[in-house]
Amino acid sequence: MREKTVKKVKSPYVYVSRYINGSECRKCSEMLLNLEKISDRGIILRLNAKGSTNVNKSRKVQTDTAGILTEGYCETVNSGPLIILCSYTYSTSTMFFSLLFFYFCSSLMFQVNLEYLESKLESVDGEEVQRIQDNINSLFHHCVQALGEEHQIKVVNALQTLCALFRGVHQKNKSASGFDIINMLMGFDKAEQRMKDLMERLDSLLCGDGSESLKSLCLKLLLCLVTVTDNISQNTILEYVMINSIFEAILQILSDVSSRGQHGYDAVVLLALLVNYRKYESVNPYIVKLSIVDDEPTLDGMGMVVHQALTEYNRQYKDKEEENQGGFFSTLTSMVGSMFIADADEKLSVQTNEAILLALYEAVHLNRNFITVLAQSHPEIDIAVTPTTPTPTTPTTPLGTTPPSLDMMNNPELPLDPNLQTSNLLITFLKYASIVMQDTKDEHRLNSARLCLIILTCIAEDQYADAFLHDDNMNFRVNLHRMPMRHRKKAVDKNIPSRPLVCAVLDLMVEFIVTHMMKDFPMDLYLRCVQIIHKLLCYQKKCRIRLHYTWRELWSALINLLKFLLSNETTLLAKHNIFHLALLVVNLFNMFITYGDTFLPTSNSYDELYYEIVRMHQVFDNLYCMVLRVSTNTGQWKEAASKVTHALVNVRAIINHFNPKIESYAAVNHISQLSEEQVLEVVRSNYDTLTLKLQDGLDQFERYSEQPKEAAFFKELVRSISLNVRKNVSLNTLSQDVLLKEFSTIS
Amino acid sequence: MDDTEPDLSPTPSDQNSPSPSLSISSSPSLSLPSTPSSEGVGELSLVIDAEVAQRACQEVLQKVKLQQVEGDVTDPQDRVGQDPPGPPAPALTPTVKPLKIREEVDDPEGVAPGSVKSARRRQRHNPSKQSWLLRLFESKLFDVSMAISYLHNSKEPGVQAYIGNRLFSFPHEDVDFYLPQLLNMYIHMDEDVGDAIKPYVVHRCRQSISFSLQCAWLLGAYSSDMHISTQRHSRGTKLRKLILSDELKPAGPRARRDPLTLTPFCPVTSPASGGEHSLSPSKRTHQRSKSDATVSISLSSNLKRTASNPKVESSQDEPVRLAPQREFIKSLMGIGKRLATLPTKEQKTQRLISELSLLNHKLPARVWLPTAAFDHHVVRVPHTQAVVLNSKDKAPYLIYVEVLECENFETSSVPIRIPENRIRSTRSVENLPDCGMTAEQRAGSFSIVPNYDNDDEAWSVDDIGELQVELPEVHTNSCDNISQFSVDSITSLESKEPVFIAAGDIRRRLSEQLAQAPTTFKRDPEDPSAVALKEPWEEKVRRIREGSPYGHLPNWRLLSVIVKCGDDLRQELLAFQVLQQLKSIWEQERVPLWIKPYKILVLSSDSGMIEPVVNAVSLHQVKKQSQLSLLDYFLQEHGATTTEEFLTAQRNFVQSCAGYSLICYLLQVKDRHNGNILLDADGHIIHIDFGFILSSSPKNLGFETSAFKLTTEFVDVMGGPDGDMFNYYKMLMLQGLIAARKHMDRVLQIVEIMQQGSQLPCFHGSSTMRGLKERFHMSLTEEQLQLLIDQLVDGSMRSLTTKLYDGFQYLTNGIM
Repeated sequence: MREKTVKKVKSPYVYVSRYINGSECRKCSEMLLNLEKISDRGIILRLNAKGSTNVNKSRKVQTDTAGILTEGYCETVNSGPLIILCSYTYSTSTMFFSLLFFYFCSSLMFQVNLEYLESKLESVDGEEVQRIQDNINSLFHHCVQALGEEHQIKVVNALQTLCALFRGVHQKNKSASGFDIINMLMGFDKAEQRMKDLMERLDSLLCGDGSESLKSLCLKLLLCLVTVTDNISQNTILEYVMINSIFEAILQILSDVSSRGQHGYDAVVLLALLVNYRKYESVNPYIVKLSIVDDEPTLDGMGMVVHQALTEYNRQYKDKEEENQGGFFSTLTSMVGSMFIADADEKLSVQTNEAILLALYEAVHLNRNFITVLAQSHPEIDIAVTPTTPTPTTPTTPLGTTPPSLDMMNNPELPLDPNLQTSNLLITFLKYASIVMQDTKDEHRLNSARLCLIILTCIAEDQYADAFLHDDNMNFRVNLHRMPMRHRKKAVDKNIPSRPLVCAVLDLMVEFIVTHMMKDFPMDLYLRCVQIIHKLLCYQKKCRIRLHYTWRELWSALINLLKFLLSNETTLLAKHNIFHLALLVVNLFNMFITYGDTFLPTSNSYDELYYEIVRMHQVFDNLYCMVLRVSTNTGQWKEAASKVTHALVNVRAIINHFNPKIESYAAVNHISQLSEEQVLEVVRSNYDTLTLKLQDGLDQFERYSEQPKEAAFFKELVRSISLNVRKNVSLNTLSQDVLLKEFSTIS
Repeated sequence: MDDTEPDLSPTPSDQNSPSPSLSISSSPSLSLPSTPSSEGVGELSLVIDAEVAQRACQEVLQKVKLQQVEGDVTDPQDRVGQDPPGPPAPALTPTVKPLKIREEVDDPEGVAPGSVKSARRRQRHNPSKQSWLLRLFESKLFDVSMAISYLHNSKEPGVQAYIGNRLFSFPHEDVDFYLPQLLNMYIHMDEDVGDAIKPYVVHRCRQSISFSLQCAWLLGAYSSDMHISTQRHSRGTKLRKLILSDELKPAGPRARRDPLTLTPFCPVTSPASGGEHSLSPSKRTHQRSKSDATVSISLSSNLKRTASNPKVESSQDEPVRLAPQREFIKSLMGIGKRLATLPTKEQKTQRLISELSLLNHKLPARVWLPTAAFDHHVVRVPHTQAVVLNSKDKAPYLIYVEVLECENFETSSVPIRIPENRIRSTRSVENLPDCGMTAEQRAGSFSIVPNYDNDDEAWSVDDIGELQVELPEVHTNSCDNISQFSVDSITSLESKEPVFIAAGDIRRRLSEQLAQAPTTFKRDPEDPSAVALKEPWEEKVRRIREGSPYGHLPNWRLLSVIVKCGDDLRQELLAFQVLQQLKSIWEQERVPLWIKPYKILVLSSDSGMIEPVVNAVSLHQVKKQSQLSLLDYFLQEHGATTTEEFLTAQRNFVQSCAGYSLICYLLQVKDRHNGNILLDADGHIIHIDFGFILSSSPKNLGFETSAFKLTTEFVDVMGGPDGDMFNYYKMLMLQGLIAARKHMDRVLQIVEIMQQGSQLPCFHGSSTMRGLKERFHMSLTEEQLQLLIDQLVDGSMRSLTTKLYDGFQYLTNGIM
């Protein structure tokens, strides 16, 4: 007011005020002087006096030249307009960072052009690094300080600037060691303190009652920080995140219904990533903490987030599927043949979501208490509990990937739709797995399918999970997706009976076995699949649970698998140890043969088992011939093959015992083709003369352990998730408009 | 003191003086000020003191003695006409009475004569008749039943007021039995009765949360038959509101914390607070209730949880003391309502399970099952155990509820929540329950570490032919891997050859084991309750206890309850009362008839809860699942006819049959198809569903004209119509009827009072009571009664209608 030092400027220009709330800022003035000094390089300053009224509130100032800003806002705060900014192309980065520093110092409120900042940092060449390091350090420092500011716009800007700094510096120093990066960002000596402050501020922002968009931004900053490197374990800064844990903040977000709805997804992904930091090398506090969480609402919350994400995926898939099958064209294609169906499938493929699957895996694998969440039914009423604040103003897609649909999460009353099936996380997961497993051709989906099977392995090993899988009182109808195939009709959904959940798991395994006998044989998945079945059988045997399941389907699927292995022996042997798989399959039969009395549902089913073996004796005979041949030769498979020969002992005994009996029965009765009933009759009457050998260790299995077997897989998986998350964490997606609108009213 | 007293008059202020308002209400000659204040808040300050009550009793007694005769002599109309002149007298009494009473306190024994004399002096009455009544009232024989009866029959306000006060001296349980009667009288009878009852009800409400809720529910239910406009202003509705507003909390802060030390009649201990209280009663109470609320919130953290439903929180007027339980009941009812909208049993079951799992999140809390016999807190609902019961359009369901027994559910602290998964940390993975296996079984099937070392040796033979050769004792120590029955043979040391097993053995064991468990029913999605109910209670308790995180606690108990939503249980409650009454009559008369009255909780005119009969399945389920005749089923379950077990079961069957036959006859219980008759594990039959009793019958089809259900199958179980047991059956019925006849009034009274103001179908028509009375056949000699019984039994046995009705049920409802 008193002093009007406004210089006439030409475009491009920078408007700056050296007054903050009516008093002159010494620092600003100094900076202005500095700037004026370099104005000969093309910068012209225009100092706007406090109280100047020629700027309308919230008038957008647009500048088109590349620079710090592409756009800004005029903001009238109490005493007058504070900012008007525009951009300019600077020739030197030094200048640029000086200005940035200045902008914080003088409490200018504008959005950093993040891309520009990042690219600027990248373009800094070697010599300049030293010069700008101080500036970056203090910029970092000021950003961290600003997180504690009351003025939320500053917080927003600080968060975004930090994000740009992390990214830019990493981008610049891809090859540099983590320590160099830390030095560049914060300076070695102060790094610890800076990061501590940063984490504390983020923690209090996340846990406070502040704006939801701000929380969302905090999570994005963290996601950004976690994913700056391709390999998460090389991200040395995370060491500070380990020391200054934000685990509790994440849990708090998950336990609260409304915040879970808005940030749950990001929180869960962040947690999953943090857990994977130097998982195998050091003690990761997040692993430790996650494994001991026993707070039900929190675990439930986590389950809900995963549940929602997977449900969303299933829904999207179904929509696409219906779209594709609805029209005339699709009926035509399906008439033309399965060739095209594969194409249609490609089109169907909805981007899978490994991040959320990884989170589910970590929860199931690390936390024993989480298992109960799997069975926790999720009728939608649970969600009705809060949304008292009708604010969620962020129509943003978190991570750009499948967002948990807010509508569903906030649906206040359970629609009394009679067709609505009560569901739980496990059911949703099984449906998801059934979709993912349909097509394992590309790497992503193969990994997804593998992860699904690993999760199922963990579940099948857990006693509590087994207990509710087999709980006779918890019957569900699970509509698994089945691959359309020529030789079978698509099962009509409604016909699936309501059964204990384990039936759905077994169905899924059978489905997989039947549909993946292809040249590019997914051996690894098959092994896991058969092992899951084995684990379930072991549980049933141990607890004497007589599951009313059509075991016949499983038997015939397994026999077909053996048949496939036999007929493709040469191609497969080039890549895989098929004997191992064969051994597992044969041992499943041995389980049924020797322990059938403990878990088969009816005495008839035992007869049927024999019937099935005898009926398909050709397959077993051939298998025996093959393994005998391989085991007598010297070669790398000798050992493996001979194990299979031993395992086949009972099956062969059965075949050798009953075949002659059946033949003579046919001969005596002059029947050329015996009916099933007749064969069963022969089986029933000839048990007593058959002796079986009891094999050891049939009901033993190797427990799942991530290390060392799976470590490589997870490393790779986390890397791809990191890339994906990084790609999708876009601070620009969090529209500045929304934020500014929100905060302009707050201030 | 005496000087100030009259001034304070409407609101009692001091301990030392008998509450004038009380004496007013008990004073017969006073026409009560029936202003709203007497109904509402004004009366909150009414303090009931043991002494006061007693004194009031005696005082009233005097009046009764004086007026009883008058009442008897004069016509009711006359009496009403006489009432108006009454008022002059009371103007005198309040001031005089206290003095007199205080003198009398010192010598309670001498009270009666003295006061009688004085009374006589004043009112000149015939002493002899009064003293009879007086003696009766004071005698030890005067029990609740009589009190209720006099309360109902006497038109004399004095008697009613006396009895109202006498109620205080009966044990709570005894009065509780007649609570429906009391409240129904309160609602539907004239003001004098209501005024007589109210102090007692209010007093008990102050003492107990459960009593308060019980009253509120019953008041709501029994008011519902009134016309909507009158209902809103009826005294019943007002009292209900008063209770639910939770103004009726224990008067003193100390009382809250420790009601046990509370002497039954003296809630106010500090004169100061009492005095203050009376100055501005309504305001005070309100403030206090608020502070109490905050205290109780901090005391019981569970409240927040129970009230976490936003709907509750929004209505802040909701009283805190009663809130948790009301919410609990409300959510159970809500579940029932939502289930009713689902079309299939399967969906209902799934939905029920998931809804209950949500309910679990809010437990433990200060909530309880009102049908239970002991104090407890509900800690968990094992949701997977819940089943939907068979019903066409409603959705009644059965839940099991884990509770922790406690001293007093109002004061004992609510148990801490143990997370569902905590159960797992108490046991290591390896020791998880083997799902219903006995210890021996477990030992047999448990596998520890595979004996890989022996493996290779065992596999040194690869020719099948050699399998027959007996191997040396390689596997003696690897028995863990062997199918359990092989283990048995090893342990019996008959064979040291574990390596070989006969396929035939496996097959045989399979069928044997499957045959071993014939007593479980097969799961049927259309009838999910059959399996759940068939499982022996003890086994269920053990199983649920094993799976519960609270199971290790010594005071853990399992309860079960049927939640009915959309059904009027008032008739059931009436039936329960009659059954209970008959049961105690038979016990008193030592007649070995067996019946099982099951508890009913009426929550409103269309909802309630029922205590399930444990270890019992319906005859329908028995027949459907077993496909056997009843006798064959008995043989299957209990053994041959000569075994002790069978004979016991048969005796049980006969005794229960006789009991229920009588009940069916007396109460005219209809709709007796096999779905409504249960058979328990001991052979008793138990009739359930008293939806059609007395004057009502299903759809008025006129079926089932027989006195009770006695099919040939029943008779077969009893050993045929010529057997001893059948005669025993008839003999029991005769004895039972004679005993019941002797105490007929106790039964009649229950029914009669409930008829008041009731629209229940069982009271349809005018002859309900007369018919019931007639069925006791007071006029017949015992010989004639015997004849009657024979006739009834013969008639029922021959009755075509029973068969017809079963056929009808089979056709319409699929009930066998």
